Amino acid sequence: MGMLNNRMNLFVIIVGLLLFLLPFIYESRTLLILLTQIFIFAIFAMSYDLLLGYTGIVSFGHAMFFGIGAYSTGIILHRMESTIFTVLLSLLVGILLSLVISILVGFLTLRLKSHFFAMLTLAFASLFLVVAEKWRTLTYGNDGFTFPLPEFLRDRTYFYLVSLTFMIAIYFLLKRFTESPFGKVLVAIRENERRVESLGFHPLYYKVIASVVAGTTASISGSLYVLSLRFVNTSVFTMEMTLDALLMTIIGGVGTLIGPIIGSGLIEFAHHLLTDLASISPIFERWIIFFGILYILTVIFFPLGIVGTIRNRISGKGKKEKYAKKTVAG
Amino acid sequence: MEVLLKTENLETFIGQYHILQGVTFEAIRGEVTVLLGRNGAGKTTTLRTILGLSPPSRGKVFFKQKEIQELPTYKTANLGIGYVPEDQGIFPYLTVEEHFKIATKGKGDKVNERIETTLALFPDLKQFWRKQAGVLSGGQKQMLAIARAYINYNELLMIDEPSKGLAPIVVEKVMETLERMKGETTIILVEQNYLMAEYLGDRFYIIDDGKTVLSGEMKELKEHEEWRKKYLGIS
Amino acid sequence: MEQIVNLLINGLATGMLIFLLAAGLTLIFGLMDVLNFAHGGFFAWGAYSGIWFYGVTGQYVLAILFAMFVGLVLGALTEKLIIKPVYGNHIQQILITLGFMLVLSELLKVIWGPNQLPAHAPEWLSGSWLIGDIIIIKYRVFIIVVGLIAFFTIHFILKKTRIGLIVRAGVMNKEMVEAMGIHIQKIFMLVFMVGASLAALSGLLLAPYSGVIYAEMGMDFAILAFIVVVIGGMGSFTGSLLAAILVGLSGSFMAYYVSELSIAVNMLLMILVLIFRPQGLFYGKG
Ligand SMILES: Nc1ncnc2c1ncn2[C@@H]1O[C@H](COP(=O)(O)OP(=O)(O)OP(=O)(O)O)[C@@H](O)[C@H]1O
Ligand SMILES: [Mg+2]
Repeated sequence: MGMLNNRMNLFVIIVGLLLFLLPFIYESRTLLILLTQIFIFAIFAMSYDLLLGYTGIVSFGHAMFFGIGAYSTGIILHRMESTIFTVLLSLLVGILLSLVISILVGFLTLRLKSHFFAMLTLAFASLFLVVAEKWRTLTYGNDGFTFPLPEFLRDRTYFYLVSLTFMIAIYFLLKRFTESPFGKVLVAIRENERRVESLGFHPLYYKVIASVVAGTTASISGSLYVLSLRFVNTSVFTMEMTLDALLMTIIGGVGTLIGPIIGSGLIEFAHHLLTDLASISPIFERWIIFFGILYILTVIFFPLGIVGTIRNRISGKGKKEKYAKKTVAG
Repeated sequence: MEVLLKTENLETFIGQYHILQGVTFEAIRGEVTVLLGRNGAGKTTTLRTILGLSPPSRGKVFFKQKEIQELPTYKTANLGIGYVPEDQGIFPYLTVEEHFKIATKGKGDKVNERIETTLALFPDLKQFWRKQAGVLSGGQKQMLAIARAYINYNELLMIDEPSKGLAPIVVEKVMETLERMKGETTIILVEQNYLMAEYLGDRFYIIDDGKTVLSGEMKELKEHEEWRKKYLGIS
Repeated sequence: MEQIVNLLINGLATGMLIFLLAAGLTLIFGLMDVLNFAHGGFFAWGAYSGIWFYGVTGQYVLAILFAMFVGLVLGALTEKLIIKPVYGNHIQQILITLGFMLVLSELLKVIWGPNQLPAHAPEWLSGSWLIGDIIIIKYRVFIIVVGLIAFFTIHFILKKTRIGLIVRAGVMNKEMVEAMGIHIQKIFMLVFMVGASLAALSGLLLAPYSGVIYAEMGMDFAILAFIVVVIGGMGSFTGSLLAAILVGLSGSFMAYYVSELSIAVNMLLMILVLIFRPQGLFYGKG
């Protein structure tokens, strides 16, 4: 694993450097925007992977934190002067709100069995959606609102670099986190919660922390997302957002962190391509259906996703086989 | 002496744990075969493995000379194996009557006849006929669970710790009932209550750490106090 | 007075719709330990296929039967292709049923287009009765009647037939039912089909009530059904009726008096139930 790990780090650094140089070599506004989008969703999907892949919990309400970040940034930049300071402040507010809410929701829900947890998170997220729809004085309801950006962020190249930096930094931070002793306990919980408990650990406490880290990370991606659009509406709280993260994580590969990045690239890229194809046949407008089917097949036949399956091939089978079953199997 | 059921080197995993690591024993028609062993030795798992509730990863189960370890649970049960699980497996919101009805195979008069015969053996259950089984006492639940396994005239009954959690006087009643069933049917009995095992059993097997380690006729175990000390922790 | 009667009827009608959706969900959960996140998909499919059929033939009663048939077929396919490969694995189940929900609603858009479609009640169910000075809308009464018929039919099957007995026993202890020689997998399939069919019925009944159908209607309503399943007690059929009426009524009165709070109150109820009485308020009522 160690060798593989080093090679993986090297790979990430090289690809990261290439991506940093890209805007100076090849100037394409469309590509920059697309890649920016990919980076932002990769952050969101990685935060989801922390829950699903590393801790073995399925949340259907992760959009909640994405939306909290999105609205924090939107509302603050809409109401206050738009400067670097307020942008940072809005990120921070989103993080703090997510922190508080993930602790509250976590303690309420994480002691429940997987079914109930999934259901309850779904319900919580829909509650936030309702609030965003109804609290019109703050959110302007379904239609949402636009807001100004500070000068430097209006530059697409600059924003591209900022998003890329965020993605890479978060990737390495989460990697550190998952490889720490704490992260090892999370994986142990995924594998066999009762055993972890009998060893004297308190799984609830670990799960809450994991959901706090996942929630705050998701909030950052939500903030970046609306910064890239200069606009926010209730769609950030919808089920579709959570579904996107789920598709990216599952298809890319659960419990790998790099998988969600690849999943994000794949899905956003395909989205882009297939939307263009929609002029040929309207079936391509429903591009998500292909991913839905791909996703179902992945869950049944390749529960490790792209990255996991490839990694398995490289490092030989044997004991990895069991891991394959376990990851999504829980 | 006809061997009704036989297992060969059963190995069973639960999750990643290797629970059974070689269980081999025979149950002879008409006899009571007792499985003994400490808490957690693997007795319950052995019964569940035979029934296919925790399927084995290796080893064989023969019932009337036929291999059955690959059969799904319902098919195994339909061969004529009745099961009384350790927790009795009572349906708390079904009435006693419904327990009898759901357990009885076949149609029409046959059903009523079987219910009659079974009730003759378990007369106490009659007075709770229309009551939900959840309100019965522990002993009554145990009787109901045994009756439910008995009602199809199964050739083999597997009964898991029928004395568990019952007051001594109730244990005696259960014992009397089992004694009356003995001879009519073959029984595999898992029991921690040594006196009951000794009283009912013809043959014993001791399971330790997932393996059968010792077997013989019940009277041999009676004579060898040191075996009981070593494997069962009793004198 | 008039207002109260109307809110009552509204609430009961909504309650019945939620009940029809929740009934299958609760039985499937109780029996198979599967929480089917695609259940709302059957609901939306029932609405679309039924309204389409009604548009083609002009026969509303036949459209109801058609929608229920579509539900049966979808249920059978789902059980075989989607649920069976992942039995016993909760996380895979949750993931796969949600993915399937996505596919079901996208398919609706492929076939019938992404926009909302209008839906109307037939002539004989339109309009209202005037009793004293109270106006009673016919279609809402119709929903209540159909809901009650469905409830009593299934209640009868559960209480009086052998299959019903097996289902009830299976909800309490599946392994024991198998150990008595009953092939419970076959019963799973049946229950899944009936559950899907009831969901489809519910979707079709809702269509003229709300006037429009859209692909996401399934998920919106499924959340209410989840709430009902939890409050009623997972696996409890009667419990789901009582809880659905409770949620329907509280929704209708709340929407009238404090509309902002209605979903919040239901959710709060669910959270409280999950925390303090996870077996549900009505568990044990069968
Ligand atoms: N679901 C499970 N997960 C993990 N381990 C299990 C599970 N079920 C049983 N075991 C373990 O398998 C071993 C054998 O259990 P089993 O119930 O067969 O023992 P037993 O001999 O019947 O014990 P007892 O006398 O306590 O009933 C025990 O160590 C138990 O902890
Ligand atoms: Mg036992």
